[in-house]
Amino acid sequence: MNIEIVHAVIDDLGALLLFTMILIVGASQISRAIYAVAFQSLFIAIAGAVLAMATGNVDLWVIAGITLTVKAIALPWLLLWAIRRMDVKREVEPVIPDLATLTLAVMFVVMSFHLSASLGSVRQAISGNALPVGIALTLNGVLVMATRKTALSQMVGLFASENGIFFTAMAVTKGMPLIIEIGVILDVILAALVMTIMVLRVRSTVDADIADLDRLRG
Amino acid sequence: MAETLLWVIPLVPVVTALLMLTTSNRKLLSTIDVSSSAILAALTLLLAHEVGASGPRSLGMFRVDDLGIIFLLLLVVLTLAVSIYTVAWLKQAVEVGNMKVESLRFYFALVHAFVATIVVTILADNLGILWIAMEGTTITSAVLIGYHGHHHGLEAAWKYIIVTTIGISFGLFGTVIIYAAAAQVMGDASSMSWIAMMQVAPKLDPGIVRIGFIFVMVGYGTKAGLAPMHLWLPDAHSQAPTPISALLSGILIKCALLAIIRFQMIAAAACGVDFPQQILIVFGLASIIVAMPFILAQHDLKRLLGYSSVEHVGIIALGLGFGGAVGTYGALLHVVNHGITKAIAFMAAGTAIARFDSRNLQAIKGLLAVAPIGATLLMIAFLSLAGVPPFSIFVSELMILRAGIGQGNWVSVAIFLTMAVIIFAGLLHHAGSMVFGEPPKTASRESETRSPLIAMLLLATLMILLGLTIPTMFDGFFQRATEVVLG
Repeated sequence: MNIEIVHAVIDDLGALLLFTMILIVGASQISRAIYAVAFQSLFIAIAGAVLAMATGNVDLWVIAGITLTVKAIALPWLLLWAIRRMDVKREVEPVIPDLATLTLAVMFVVMSFHLSASLGSVRQAISGNALPVGIALTLNGVLVMATRKTALSQMVGLFASENGIFFTAMAVTKGMPLIIEIGVILDVILAALVMTIMVLRVRSTVDADIADLDRLRG
Repeated sequence: MAETLLWVIPLVPVVTALLMLTTSNRKLLSTIDVSSSAILAALTLLLAHEVGASGPRSLGMFRVDDLGIIFLLLLVVLTLAVSIYTVAWLKQAVEVGNMKVESLRFYFALVHAFVATIVVTILADNLGILWIAMEGTTITSAVLIGYHGHHHGLEAAWKYIIVTTIGISFGLFGTVIIYAAAAQVMGDASSMSWIAMMQVAPKLDPGIVRIGFIFVMVGYGTKAGLAPMHLWLPDAHSQAPTPISALLSGILIKCALLAIIRFQMIAAAACGVDFPQQILIVFGLASIIVAMPFILAQHDLKRLLGYSSVEHVGIIALGLGFGGAVGTYGALLHVVNHGITKAIAFMAAGTAIARFDSRNLQAIKGLLAVAPIGATLLMIAFLSLAGVPPFSIFVSELMILRAGIGQGNWVSVAIFLTMAVIIFAGLLHHAGSMVFGEPPKTASRESETRSPLIAMLLLATLMILLGLTIPTMFDGFFQRATEVVLG
């Protein structure tokens, strides 16, 4: 595949990723945010497949496959299962108004592109606009975590944030070594499981959201 | 021989963790715990001897140099002491119902899985493996922090896992960015090996490395407890079971600093030494300043120790930031000194809390009258944390101070000194009110149990020894590690 076409496809996927990110930031219902993060992971899997075709790197096929099964299907399913299990009545519960969050999100995107534009030589190391998109997703993921008071929304933010890293890592020339990517995914799965167990445990003992507890101070 | 040890050492805690699952007898579990820690310590001493005699070794994705040996030695000393401490601590915890007999095996299995991930963090040469192991430490220790199942513990565990996971995902991002810069230079032979990256480091694009280092600093800095990313630390370190608090404060946050040192070296080679040093000084000073008011106005004994860890991590970062032979040597020595001292402090605090059945500083009074040895140990741990000679922390703080004066960085030196003096007064005030005075009637007057005392005396001996003199063998490791860091 022609290198320019690859860059164009990666840029298009990057735009879709940013769009799903805005959906996550602005989501008024937790289930919508989960669907958005699932689609975001799906686009990243597609990006992996495109890069695999372009570079002939077999490892990237494996990574794309794992991303699809774990991040686009298994983890969103886990979150949806936890919602049903907990019978969530409260929804997203932002700490600051939605409009302020969205403004911050847009600022992060602009800032990321501005930052990457100042790095001329990075263009050769990372395909297309993968670096600014990656930085924007990571920062916006943190924004979601910081502005939500419910545990599951914070987990969605975490997954979005990690998606940004994966996207950039795929687009690095040659990609990351396969064993490292698999190790990282394993960590993500384990962390998600432990977090879900904690959330359910607190819900069953004190009937509160774990992210909303604030007894420890000073 | 040394190459064999490189894969045997991480395997020991893994095998132990699996072995723990096979029994639920408390005494047997404690025996396995102590003997496994002793084996780990013996093997590490052997490895240290080999490395001291014939230099760094590598095996696949693992590598050990003098820098790694320092952290590994600290780890095995602390795990051994913690294992001995756990024997009596566990008995008491089971009696009062803090721990359930049925689930003890999972507790021990998790502790050793936690130790295994720390070992891999220290020995990893591959920066990807380093990250994976670091996230592994977060997952295992998060479960341990919330182990009591009390909602305070779970709240702390949640804050810990969410903040540090997001934090070190920044670290992964920084790793990816620096790897991208290296892959560009290395071409076909690109790898994430730290030693391979160090060889091409001077040729890396400074602009990319700069951004990568900032991400790494924020990422691993979160895990290290540097302000302003320290918010999880006082909660996690105060709510964890005491042996886990000792490991978290003693070694885990230092491993995050080791990761920062590795990247600092790449950044120093790519963009000059000034850039990473300035960032380290800023984070270091911020941590020292932020910790001060919380130490003075603290009501909770274990939170007090948590904030003191923030201060000391800041001092280590400051030492690395001042740089030079003296500053780096002082910072590495401070890693060991603070690790040992803070472990004693947490252990002594844990026994005092059990005795008074309260963690409130106002409720703990007259410890000397009910538990003379424990009270003395608590007092010297606090004196050492405050930086009083002849204890070891005084020596390393003095070196860091000298490095700062040598650099002519007067503003930083002035801030460091002022804060150190205020914190000194605060710590002494808290320690005095706990140790002296009339004990309340409710305080337990049982005689002191042996195993915690052995553990604390073991560490206290090391602490005093390192304050008086640094044995030639250790001095050799510190000298060579300083050379490694300075390049």
